[in-house]
Amino acid sequence: MNPPMLDIVDIRKSYRVGPTEVKVLKGINLTVAKGELLAIIGPSGSGKSTLMHMLGLLEKPDTGTYQIDGARVAYDDDRTLSTLRNRKIGFVFQQYHLLPKLTALENVGVPLIYRGIKEAEVRKRSLEYLTKVDMQGRANHRPNEMSGGQQQRVAIARALVGTPSMILADEPTGALDTKTGEEIMDLFHRLSRDEGITMVIITHNPGLAEQCGRYVKIIDGMIYSA
Amino acid sequence: MNLFQINFREAFRSLWGSRQRSLLALIGIVIGIGSVIGMVSIGTIVQQEAIRQFKDMGVDIITIRKSFSENRKAEFSLDIIMKITGEKRNILAVAPYLTSGTEYNQGRQKISMEKMGVTASFFDLNKLHVNQGRVVSDLDQHRYFCVVGAELADFLQKTGTTKILGGQITADGRAYTIIGVLNSVAEGGLRPYGMNRAMMIPLSTALRTFQNPEINTIMARIAPHIPIVQLKGDIEDFFKKRARGMQVEVTSAEELIERMKKQMQMFSLLLGSIGSIALIVGGIGVMNVMLISVSERRSEIGLRRALGAQQSDIQSQFLIESIILCLMGGLIGILLGIGVSYLFAFFSKWQFIMSYSSIALGFGVSTVVGVFCGFYPARTAARLDPIKALRS
Repeated sequence: MNPPMLDIVDIRKSYRVGPTEVKVLKGINLTVAKGELLAIIGPSGSGKSTLMHMLGLLEKPDTGTYQIDGARVAYDDDRTLSTLRNRKIGFVFQQYHLLPKLTALENVGVPLIYRGIKEAEVRKRSLEYLTKVDMQGRANHRPNEMSGGQQQRVAIARALVGTPSMILADEPTGALDTKTGEEIMDLFHRLSRDEGITMVIITHNPGLAEQCGRYVKIIDGMIYSA
Repeated sequence: MNLFQINFREAFRSLWGSRQRSLLALIGIVIGIGSVIGMVSIGTIVQQEAIRQFKDMGVDIITIRKSFSENRKAEFSLDIIMKITGEKRNILAVAPYLTSGTEYNQGRQKISMEKMGVTASFFDLNKLHVNQGRVVSDLDQHRYFCVVGAELADFLQKTGTTKILGGQITADGRAYTIIGVLNSVAEGGLRPYGMNRAMMIPLSTALRTFQNPEINTIMARIAPHIPIVQLKGDIEDFFKKRARGMQVEVTSAEELIERMKKQMQMFSLLLGSIGSIALIVGGIGVMNVMLISVSERRSEIGLRRALGAQQSDIQSQFLIESIILCLMGGLIGILLGIGVSYLFAFFSKWQFIMSYSSIALGFGVSTVVGVFCGFYPARTAARLDPIKALRS
C-alpha cells in the first residue's frame, strides 16, 4: 500500500486566554491517502480553523507529529516551513485572497515566483493552469473585473500551479451562491478524479461534505469518522 | 534575481496606487536632499571661485593697513613706504594707493565709481592688463591722466561717449584724459573693491586733489615660501620704528583663504543642518507611509506567506518599496539642489559647476534613508503572524 499523503498523530494545541488555558485540539489523528478527496466538517468553534492552519503549516502544534508525502515536518525555522508551504500545499480560501493589483495570470504565478522560477516559464505554466479551470479567457483581468466564482477558479489554479502534494481548501464555496458553489465543487471533483490530486476541504456544510469521497467530523477538538 | 525584479515592479505599482500619499511623504526627502545637494554644489562653486580669484592674483600678495586701534593721527607717508623694500628683503614690491567712492553722472545715468590714486606697481601687483592704451606710469606724476575699469568704460560707451581712449572724464571739477582701458577682472581676494568701476589716476595727483588725501592701503608682493608670521612681525616693527609707533594690520592671501574657508564651513553647517532636519522629517514621513502600507496590506502579506514567501522575501519587498520612494525623492531633490545652485551662481555672476560627487552623494543618502526608514516597517511586515495577517 502507498504511504499516506498526510499522516498526523496525536496533535494537540492549546491557547492561553488570560489566566485560563483553552484546549483547541485535543489529540487529533488523521490519515489522508494519495488522491483522496476528504472533507472535514465541523461547527464553528470546533477547532476546524486551527486544524486547517495546522495542516497548512501556518501553525506549530504543541505536541504530535505531522508527516506530509512521507516526510516528517520539522518545525525548525521560517525558511523550511515557507519552502514546505510553497511546494507541498496549495491553499484555497473562502475569500479567494487574490492580489487586487495583479492580473489573473500574475496571481496564479505567485507561488512559482517564490521558487525563483524564470518569469517566462511562470507565465507559461500559469496559463496552462488557468486553462485547466477554464479561465484562460480572463488571463489579463484583475480580480475586481471578475465574479466570485471566477475569482475562486483563479485561486484554485494558483493552488494547483505549483503541483503541490495536496490542496487545502477552507470553505471554498462559503462566499458563493449555491449554483456557483456547485460549479466549484464540480471542479474539485473533476480535478480529484482526472488529475488524482489529494484534497482536503474544510466546511461546515454537511451537504457539501457528503459529496466528497470521505468525510470526518471535528467536534470540540476531536476527530470522529463519519 | 527574478524575485527582485518582480518586487521592484510591484513596489512601483504599489507606490503608484497610493501616489498622493507617496508624494506627500516625498516632500521632506526632496527638501532634505535638495539642501544637501545645494550645499555641496554651492560650496564647490564658491571654492572654485575663490581659487580662481587667488590664482588670478597670486598668493604672494599682502596688504598693510593702519590698525583699527590706531587712533592718533598717524598717516602712511610715501617716503617711509618706499624705504620698506630696501630694508626688508622679503618684500619685493609695494603699491600704496588711496581710494574713495563717488558717483559719476553722465546725462541722466549714473554709476558708482571708485576714484583711486595708484602707482605703476599697482597694476603689476593686481595683475591688471589694458585692453587699450597703457597703464599709469611713474612718469605721469601730477598729470591729470586716468585709466578706467572695464565696467566704467562700458558705461561711458553706453551713455554716449564715442571716443573713450583719449576722451575725458570730469571728476571734482577736473578733467582727466583717459590713457588706458582695463580688461575685466574678478573681484574679491585682496584686490581693492570695485576695480572694474574704477578710474585710476597717478598717486601724486590723487594726493593733491583728494578731499582726504591719505594713503589707505599698501599692497606688497612678498618673496615666496617665507613664514608669514615672522614677516608680519617685521612689518609691524618697521612701522613702529619709522612712523612714530604707528600700528599696522597685515593681511595675507593665505589668511584670507583661511577666513573664506571658515565662512564656507559656517555656510555648509547651516545648510547641512537644514538638510539633516528635513531628511529626518522626511525619513519619518517615509516610515509612516511604509507603516500604513504594511497595515493596509496585512492580508496580502498573510497570503504571500501562505503561498510560500519567506520572512526575508516580505522584508525585501517592503524595503525595496521604501528605497524606491526615497530614491524618487532623492532624484527630485537633486534636480532642485542643482537648480538652486545654478541660480545662486547665476545671480552671483559666478561660474556654475556641476558637482557630480554631490549627485552621487544625493543618491547615496536617499538609499541610506530608504533602508534606514524602511527597515522597521519591513521587519514588522515580515514578522506578522501569517494567520492573523490573513484574517484581517
